[in-house]
Amino acid sequence: MSSRRWLPNTSLKTRLYVVTLACAALALTTRSATPAYFPDDPLQVDNDRALDAGKARPVDGSNAYDFAEHTFLKPGDHRPIRAVNVNTLDEVADSSWFTNRIGRQMMSIDEIARGPNAADAPGIDDWPIVEEKSSGITPGYRVRSPEGRLYQLKLDPPGNPEMASSAEVIGAAFYHAIGYNVVQGYIVDIDPAKIVIDPAATTVDMRGRKRTMTRDDIDKLLARGAKLPNGKYRATLSRFADGRPLGYFKYYGTRPDDPNDIHPHEHRRELRGSRVFAAWLNHDDSRGLNSLDMLEGPAGRQFIRHYMFDFGSIMGSGSTMPQVPRAGNEYILEWGPAFKTLATLGLYVRPWILVDYWEGAKSVGRFEGDFFDPVKWRPEYPNPAFENMTPEDAFWGARLVSKFSNEAIRAVVAKARYSEPGAADHIADTLIKRRDKVLRAWLTGVNPLVNARLSNDGVLTFENAAVDAGIAKPVAEYRYTWSRFDNATGEISQSIEAGSVAGTDGKLPGSRAEAPKMLLDAPFIRVSVRTIHPDYPAWSAPVTFTFRRAGTQWETVGLDRTDKSVVRK
Amino acid sequence: MAHATVVWFIAVAICMCAPLFVYAQEPATRAETLQQQREEKARKLAPPAQNRLERTLKDLESGRLFERLLNPAEGLYPKIGNITTGSGFSVGPGYRHAGMFGGHADFSTFAAASFSKYWMIDARLQFPRLANNHVAVEVHGQRYDFPKEDFFGLGPDSNRDDEVIYGLANTVLGGSGTVRPTGWLNLSAGVDHLQPTIDATAEPDSLLSRFDPSQAPGVLVQPDFLRYSAMVDVNMRVPRGNPRRGGRYAVTYQRYDDTDTDFYSFNRVDIDLQQYVPLVRDRRVLALRARAAMTDADTGAVVPFYYQPTLGGPDDLRGFRHFRFRDRNALLLQAEYRWEIFTAVDGAIFYDAGKVASRREDLDLRDLESDYGIGFRFGTINGVFLRIEGAFGSSAGAHFIMRFGHVF
Repeated sequence: MSSRRWLPNTSLKTRLYVVTLACAALALTTRSATPAYFPDDPLQVDNDRALDAGKARPVDGSNAYDFAEHTFLKPGDHRPIRAVNVNTLDEVADSSWFTNRIGRQMMSIDEIARGPNAADAPGIDDWPIVEEKSSGITPGYRVRSPEGRLYQLKLDPPGNPEMASSAEVIGAAFYHAIGYNVVQGYIVDIDPAKIVIDPAATTVDMRGRKRTMTRDDIDKLLARGAKLPNGKYRATLSRFADGRPLGYFKYYGTRPDDPNDIHPHEHRRELRGSRVFAAWLNHDDSRGLNSLDMLEGPAGRQFIRHYMFDFGSIMGSGSTMPQVPRAGNEYILEWGPAFKTLATLGLYVRPWILVDYWEGAKSVGRFEGDFFDPVKWRPEYPNPAFENMTPEDAFWGARLVSKFSNEAIRAVVAKARYSEPGAADHIADTLIKRRDKVLRAWLTGVNPLVNARLSNDGVLTFENAAVDAGIAKPVAEYRYTWSRFDNATGEISQSIEAGSVAGTDGKLPGSRAEAPKMLLDAPFIRVSVRTIHPDYPAWSAPVTFTFRRAGTQWETVGLDRTDKSVVRK
Repeated sequence: MAHATVVWFIAVAICMCAPLFVYAQEPATRAETLQQQREEKARKLAPPAQNRLERTLKDLESGRLFERLLNPAEGLYPKIGNITTGSGFSVGPGYRHAGMFGGHADFSTFAAASFSKYWMIDARLQFPRLANNHVAVEVHGQRYDFPKEDFFGLGPDSNRDDEVIYGLANTVLGGSGTVRPTGWLNLSAGVDHLQPTIDATAEPDSLLSRFDPSQAPGVLVQPDFLRYSAMVDVNMRVPRGNPRRGGRYAVTYQRYDDTDTDFYSFNRVDIDLQQYVPLVRDRRVLALRARAAMTDADTGAVVPFYYQPTLGGPDDLRGFRHFRFRDRNALLLQAEYRWEIFTAVDGAIFYDAGKVASRREDLDLRDLESDYGIGFRFGTINGVFLRIEGAFGSSAGAHFIMRFGHVF
């Protein structure tokens, strides 16, 4: 066959155009064929240590600039998009940022309470002081262990013994169990009589000059801390993390010197969703400058691990004083209430001003759960990731919070060794009260179906996280839409309304439904489940589960709470 | 024909290879997808960028530069602020040396001058931590020149249009001691040698161009004085620098001994009562103040005009010029309603009233001069760094005030 006969009466130039267009069309078609689910979905581990980050350099931040930038400039991308680092099950894969712990497997109460600590609190009497603590407002200094490892000691404020140190260890235990990287922290007693100063220890005087540290310097530091009745000083002993410090991470953008850091932080699920934990624990100081990046690994294969850092300002503790009443309720500078107060000459009274706090123990600071509203909770100033939190991010966080039983919370609080009567109970009771409010606000914000399974013979089971947590009454009805799913094109076909199935009592294994037999030969099946509940109209938005045939079994590969392909009814 | 065949062959080959080429770019797994993105980023790594402002602020913070420069415990620093009421903005070098004599003593000195040609040199050696911080002792020396002090005449009926100026220079040498039995009680006593001099003729609008010497006692001759003072100060304000509750009640007695002629010897008593009524959980405060200053000359003596109590200016009658009223006795009543607007800014509306009188029994509530106004205070819960106020309603018109530190 000649080309002329194939394309009669056309010039060579025209024929070339046609061929080129055909190639382009083919190429585009091929690109659009990127599968919805790769063979390794859902990704459980994001290997963000793959490329060497050894060229990353330390970066130091300014508190004033950070405040001004976030208050006045609104940095970061604020599009209302789905978190960019979730896997196809809408979960966070393990990475240098986050390790699924309580969310992936059962943790014993002991494990939760132990937190990041590898051992019991060490004795530090003979550990030499090597330098003064270099940053932050809390007085302290650094010591070296007999193994040569560096630790930092931070003192409690004189008016509130046990307050900041308790906050530190409680915060670290919770954040660790949730999945964040935190440094090891212990409560220790400093005996002034057994303090040893390394001859090479240094401090920086008020003229900015580094000089040898003296006993007088230590005494001045101790004078800024809370002295116990036995003459000792209680402190938090924090173990320096492994690796080389690189400063902090921001809650927006990516580190430009880290090849592995590709997801904008303001769209990372574990940072957007950390607003839930911050609200629960009143971690109002949750900002970039209270984070830590550490460069780890052997030369040529180094990576950056990202830490949550400094929990001295959580719950009722403001590190050096009790938490101010504004904390958690309003940004340092929030125009609306400020203008109202200005314009009315103070006749407008912000509601949080009138909150009563329990004053039974100095070590508690200001911590309460009655006025607390998780949705209205605020950090010290705007946090781009927090501001981007979607209902799905919040649900993810709330599910993790729901994993902490009353017993686990009390065990973590006990770790702080509060000595004042009633202090531990107040902290634990308040955490429980706030946890329940968090769950009511955020575990119910989306259709809360989780853990869907499709058995070999096509029986669907799932759980309702809100009902299981005891936050919501049993569900009245579930409605299912089954369909065949084309993984290559993303198209759905043969949609079948399976009718309504009455909900069970909400107990495990949750509700069940049978997939239409005619779909069971498909490599991928989808089911969108709408939940009909009189108290939560939002649950009628479908959760779409996708199952992939794996041999004789079905594997859950997809969960989407934002699926717009299913019309809400 | 052969050419066309070749072209077709190439085109078809490209067409067939295109998908392969594309497939070569497309990852086969999610992990590969992410890896590709990371490799892409690895090709354009850059150091973290910080703009100049951020770098500067970071350096200032990490080096505690503001603290070191503006208010260091030791070393050189710029002395910034007001030397005295009416001096205007002043600046000069300051120096502190802490921990002398085994850590017991602190030395400080400064020299500052303003654009209004006011200047002051001050040096003091303090022992602030004696007897387990219950006792403080200091010796001090001071030389100052205030060349443009306002004078409107004596008495409550002085005329705004009679404003003239005079210069007051002084050398002060003395010492004082304070006992602090508790945190809220200070008992102080001191003695100073004063060498005041008055310049009432240097400027065209100077004092003697409008007033005769009988209207300004002491304008022609200024003896040296020995001033003895004793003070009881009950300070229960919380917090001290920006009070929300509590009060301060201070009484000071001073004896001015004219060491040259006895003609200007007198006694002076100052009473300063402040009360802070907390409202709305300390977020609003009603601040009240009553201050009285009374002088009593020895028999046959007079109180020199430059040591007589005054009213007027940014700290008392804010709707009037500095030292607008002057006489042997003065009464000041102030009320402020302060409300927190946000963390670092308070608003305030205020009312000031006061009078001066030649006789103590005339210090009553009749014929008070008064003003009112509104302002903003910038600082922290523990102190006010700057206040900006507008004072109105006085017979002297509106006054705009910008001043470092609190009013009371």
